[in-house]
Amino acid sequence: MGRSPSDLAVFVGKRLLQLVPVLIGITVLTFVFTHLSTVNPCNQWFPHSHGAVLANCQHMFGQPLYVQYGEYLSSLAHGNLGVSEAGIPVNPAIVNGVPATLELVLAALFLMIVIGIPLGVIAAQSAGRWADHLVRVFYLSGWATPTYLGAVIAAIYLAPYLGLPAHGEYTNTPPPFRQWTHMSVVDALLAGNLPYTADALEHLFLPAAVLAFINMGIATRMTRSSMLEVIPLDYVKSARMKGLTEFWVMYKHALRNALITTTTVLGVTAGGLLAGTVVVEEVFDWPGIGQYAYYAIGGGGATPNFDGAVAVVAVFAVGVVVANLIADILYGILDPRVDWR
Amino acid sequence: MTDAAISVEGLSIDYVVGAGRFHAVTDVSLEVPAGHVVGIVGETGCGKSTLAQAIPRLLPEPPATIGSGRIVFQGIDLVKVPLWKMPALRGTGISMIFQEPLNSLNPAYRVYDQLAEAVHIRRQREAGRSRVDPRPPPPFDYSRRPAPEVGEALSRPIVPAGATGALARKMRERHPELRDEVLDYLRLVRINDPETILELYPHELSGGMRQRVMIAMALSEKPALLIADEPTSALDVTIQAQVLTLMKELIEEVRTSILFISHDLGVIAETADELGVMYAGRLIEFGPVAELFDAPRHPYTKALLRSSPTRYKSDGPLSSIPGAVPNLSRPPPGCRFHPRCPIARPVCRAEPPPALLPADGAGPGHRSACHFAAEVASLP
Repeated sequence: MGRSPSDLAVFVGKRLLQLVPVLIGITVLTFVFTHLSTVNPCNQWFPHSHGAVLANCQHMFGQPLYVQYGEYLSSLAHGNLGVSEAGIPVNPAIVNGVPATLELVLAALFLMIVIGIPLGVIAAQSAGRWADHLVRVFYLSGWATPTYLGAVIAAIYLAPYLGLPAHGEYTNTPPPFRQWTHMSVVDALLAGNLPYTADALEHLFLPAAVLAFINMGIATRMTRSSMLEVIPLDYVKSARMKGLTEFWVMYKHALRNALITTTTVLGVTAGGLLAGTVVVEEVFDWPGIGQYAYYAIGGGGATPNFDGAVAVVAVFAVGVVVANLIADILYGILDPRVDWR
Repeated sequence: MTDAAISVEGLSIDYVVGAGRFHAVTDVSLEVPAGHVVGIVGETGCGKSTLAQAIPRLLPEPPATIGSGRIVFQGIDLVKVPLWKMPALRGTGISMIFQEPLNSLNPAYRVYDQLAEAVHIRRQREAGRSRVDPRPPPPFDYSRRPAPEVGEALSRPIVPAGATGALARKMRERHPELRDEVLDYLRLVRINDPETILELYPHELSGGMRQRVMIAMALSEKPALLIADEPTSALDVTIQAQVLTLMKELIEEVRTSILFISHDLGVIAETADELGVMYAGRLIEFGPVAELFDAPRHPYTKALLRSSPTRYKSDGPLSSIPGAVPNLSRPPPGCRFHPRCPIARPVCRAEPPPALLPADGAGPGHRSACHFAAEVASLP
């Protein structure tokens, strides 16, 4: 294996093939656990119903678990993610929710990169001095904050104080344009509607900031420690001896090499970010699959939605695998010594 | 005094580590006359690398602290220059070649990008876009040695198609003048087929090639002073010889002022005009190379010369200096060499020798720091 584009294609193909066993494993686990969670579900969920609804439910749940899973898999193979226990199909919810969640996660990742990484560089440059300690206090307080607490504090106290909205994607829903992508900012931009774009950005800011703040520690900390490894090396000295200013020495020569570790770790944090969306989306009423997952497992007194929960977990699993794949590709681009294999 | 490329006056550097204080460099004064090559030799840990890195203020401060002294470069005392202003003096003013060619090139950038960056910085400064405007550096002369003839097989690009290769090449074609100059410097350091080398990453080059690239990078800034910090020590013996030959030829061609640090007397003998000997943080002898080799005026220099293998055939066991290098956190009182010195007397224990006096009967410019410099000649 080498570094030509065809090697990259083979590498990506191999890694995507790994998705198949991952998906089978993850659906088996979530399917079994959701279906074991409730005893005699039909009587619990529809105590006062008779006739068709109850009969349908009893038909669904009356069979052995492996038969139920087999039926689920065969419908999945046809691209059908199933039907909720209340009879609502899962597909449209996932199709509309994934872009919204993706938008939130990407915005959080963006904040983590543009704030967390420079903070790590600053901490490494001033290692042991007050700026370093200040940065450490900042990222540790984020790391130590439980997601629900951070989200609730931001929504209740910070939002009015900063004058930022804390509910939904737009102030007025539905917006007066077609939602092509279901990413609020992108849709508003595609429609050329600048007031709505600004409105969407305002709505996006707080949930993304909460997600970023809570997960930022890992980016800052990895950047700091790998910068501390890189800074004493000779090539940083030779960059200085070229007459480059400290800014370029740090951000062009040292950070480029330090980022190699940070990128890998950012790929791993994708799991944390996705998990965080479940709480953050519910608190900020963000119409993504995190909020959908919250209701699917019976949050807020909703009727559980087993197929929906399995679907969300499967989507999250795909998200984590793809995020790690992207991180590995970036790793190869950042470090010319790495072969794609 | 004014025609010195750099003059170091009474420089002392300490490392403060925990509660301890290591006197890495104590009261060193030396001068590199413009256009001269000054060598510094000494054992490992004698402070020569610290001195080399202190001149362009490359030492991490803390733990290093410059206690006293002046480093005068182009009329400016570098010790007093705030660190954030130093970049303007580095590169075109003072440039440096490091010991480890494996580590001194950035692994993430192609050879071209690193060289072009250096050339670009110099061009910016030549165009007057610099805070400090150094005097025009000594002129470079490539004319003496025409570019080597390159066979067709060598000039054929053998670059592996990297994912970003096409883009990098496109960027390169946008600055043909930078590219031409980079190629000139690669030819200057006798790299055949520089067109191919441009596209490679440092890890794709051998150690000797990397050091050549490093030398090209340092020279491409046309520095007023070049510091070579053991440029051949980390290489194989055969490659060492090649790089050393190259350095010697370049010194002839480029005529810049060079401070050449080494622990290898043979290397220094072949390259330097003047030689300084350091021991335990002090400069103990300084003089023209030939004279210093013929008639050393310090017992340590004498012992050092005797203990270095000079011929391929051996006549008896190699002599060594008895005792060990002193601990620099508590250097011995008086002369730092006295515990190992064959001619030490009570005064050596009590009083440090006067700093670098002209030795009796020695030629001009030959100075040593020994109470009994005149007796050294009679030592075996």
